[in-house]
Amino acid sequence: MSEQFFVRELPNGMTLLGQRMEQVSSAALTVLVPAGASRDPDDMAGAASVAVEWTFRGAGVRDTRALNDALDNLGAQHDEHVGSEHLSYASAQLGRNLYPILELYADILRRPRWERATFDPSRDLTLQDLAALEDEPARKCSLLLREKYYPFPLGRSAYGREETLAAMTADTLRAHAQRQLSPRNVILAVAGNIDWDAFVARAETVFGDWEGPAPAPVPTAEPAGGVTFLHKDSAQVHIALAHPTVPVCDPQYYIARVAEAVLADGMSSRLFHEVREVRGLVYTVGTQYHSLKERAGLFTYAGTRPELAQQTFDVTLGEIRRLAEGITADELQRAKTQIRSSLVMHGESTSARAGALASDWYHLRRLRPLREVSAGLEAVTVDDVARHLREHPAREFTVLIIGPEELDTSAYREA
Amino acid sequence: MQFRHDQLDNGLTLLAEVNPSAATMAVGLFVNTGARDETPREAGMSHFLEHMVFKGTPRRSAADVNREFDDMGANYNAFTSEESTVYYASVLPEFQDRVTDLLCDILRPSLREDDFTVEQQVILEEIALYEDQPSYRVYEKLMGEFFEGHGLANPVLGTNESISAMTPADMRDYFDRRYAPGNVLAVAVGNVDYDRFRRFVTDRCGTWQSRVAERRLLPAPGHVRQTVITDPRVLREHLGFMSPAPAAQGNDDYAAQLAATVLGDDSGSRLYYALIDPALADEANTTYSAMDRTGAFYTFVSTDPERTSEVIGIVRDELLRFRDEGPTEAELLAAKNKIASGATLKGEIPMGRLTAVGFDWAYRGEYVPLPEQIDRMFAVTREQVTEVVRRYDLTAAAVLGLGPCETL
Repeated sequence: MSEQFFVRELPNGMTLLGQRMEQVSSAALTVLVPAGASRDPDDMAGAASVAVEWTFRGAGVRDTRALNDALDNLGAQHDEHVGSEHLSYASAQLGRNLYPILELYADILRRPRWERATFDPSRDLTLQDLAALEDEPARKCSLLLREKYYPFPLGRSAYGREETLAAMTADTLRAHAQRQLSPRNVILAVAGNIDWDAFVARAETVFGDWEGPAPAPVPTAEPAGGVTFLHKDSAQVHIALAHPTVPVCDPQYYIARVAEAVLADGMSSRLFHEVREVRGLVYTVGTQYHSLKERAGLFTYAGTRPELAQQTFDVTLGEIRRLAEGITADELQRAKTQIRSSLVMHGESTSARAGALASDWYHLRRLRPLREVSAGLEAVTVDDVARHLREHPAREFTVLIIGPEELDTSAYREA
Repeated sequence: MQFRHDQLDNGLTLLAEVNPSAATMAVGLFVNTGARDETPREAGMSHFLEHMVFKGTPRRSAADVNREFDDMGANYNAFTSEESTVYYASVLPEFQDRVTDLLCDILRPSLREDDFTVEQQVILEEIALYEDQPSYRVYEKLMGEFFEGHGLANPVLGTNESISAMTPADMRDYFDRRYAPGNVLAVAVGNVDYDRFRRFVTDRCGTWQSRVAERRLLPAPGHVRQTVITDPRVLREHLGFMSPAPAAQGNDDYAAQLAATVLGDDSGSRLYYALIDPALADEANTTYSAMDRTGAFYTFVSTDPERTSEVIGIVRDELLRFRDEGPTEAELLAAKNKIASGATLKGEIPMGRLTAVGFDWAYRGEYVPLPEQIDRMFAVTREQVTEVVRRYDLTAAAVLGLGPCETL
């Protein structure tokens, strides 16, 4: 079955994307706004996070309570996320509530009230989120690793720093955030049981007269990289490693995804098998692929008790490097089936599809049908993977460790 | 949508919600056993056994089990709670036979000594992992306090001591007691060929020997006490409140779920406006746990240590006010819309329907199609919700604090 995809680029720079799914009664929206954490001014790190909190404290004619009540009454299952490039807003609900939700999002995106009275709690909540990270070492470890791995400020943690949050005022944040209220490069994707033409007509009504400047490019500095150890009297040592791979737009993307699946997808994957199943060193070990527009990384995490930490670090690093010796035909076949099957499973969810449409458009400026992805994967050979791993060797890692004792990490950089 | 069910001669029950237009299918084996069914010496056994089930059978090694799931591209795992152990996998419909065969086979595990020794270490790692998660520790400790003297107080993961002392023979003994076919539900949801499913399950599980495996159903206590666990390594104060709630059986579960949503949903609830909106806490939510012949409302809050007593006062006031006044019509309607929307979204994916179909049968012996569930939920009145929070006095809450505070 081929998908029913739709694209409409509005003259103001906003792109509308759609996928019609006939089996469902829900409809999901994803909106990507180029106002993510990498766009926070250095002295206002955390601005995007505070701005999102503040936005939900009143927009258009509605104050905090009226806005939340309106979303709740429409059954909106909504979620906001501050990424590197984008602020993303996602909301899933019954299809019949889609248009009123779209109107609420027009207020949220275009007409936040950003009143002085609601600024302090918005900022204080972000400060508390930052403080709460100290009680979640595994999450903190992954966030800080991303910061060290990507060219600064592309991987910057969205929570900011205590001093930048404390220095922020309603006036400074409003002035900054208002400059980012623009339809340029905004992506709005919808998936579900929709009537596309009617949806476009509604979207044009609420967004068509929105105008604003193009977002400025983000200047970047070299990544910090290296090894960072943070002392904490935790029960486990939290070990996180990052190394480079190709971004979504790269012609070798499918090859890279297959390699990553062999390494870390499923309980028969190299890492899970060796580190957990054979040696019993961890409960959690895994690798996540993450891509920005031009840079991507493989982010590996393992959590273990202090007495096993050195061995866990060495074995994990060893398995990642051993991949370069090549993969078997069985592993290739398994990885292809796993990726294809997970695509079909995501294809049943309107939220997952709305997110995938928006992501495709951002990375590729087009929407990939399932059959194109399947064909791309099917074409990958054992030799392709071997060549790819030779060209992109896991030679140098960025390392972040949180725990009671330092490890010998000298092996992170290959001699 | 079609519902089918059968029972094998040995007591194992089969259920299916068949939806030919779904792109995938999900299979789950629901075993009616969990931490509450363990003796003190067996603390953590149900969960450890859940791990060992993936370690192979006379026909398959541990590596075979993992590889076969991955060969199908299955999305698979298992979970253990105080009273259930569930093994599940979702796959493309072409793999129905293979996944059914695999799940049925692993439910008669070999429990080999060498696998046991390695997995024991993994469980100890998992215990350490949760040591670094104060929100989990609050829940576990509060369950222990609230239900003290009852099986529901048992920690699902067990302790370093109980896990280290276990042997494969102990596990075999527990397995024989609890994994009797009458304690197992085989559930399939989505694009399922039911007749094939029944044939496969009958063929693989029909030979399992029938045994009596009853749960000891002692009355559940609800100790109202205040507990402080001072841990200076934890920076924020983590607070839990637990009070009695309706059981999974009976007709009050929708009212209880609505009460928890109005009181403590992540957005737009009483606690949201009392604590999150003014930034007195960074997390505050209430959930309703429906259990076998009992239930609990659980509220979790995370706050700055210096605000602890203020925040406890606010939560207590909100519990009291809600018990006395119940929800407003507007609050109730918003809660209904949120729950309906969430259930619909989940229901559009076979994996999302699986647990609802399985647990409805496990607890109530009934199958309720999703639209009817939503209708029943919408029929609940303000008076019914108010009656429930009064009958199960919301203010009779045990309180536990974990963090730097020495007193609450």
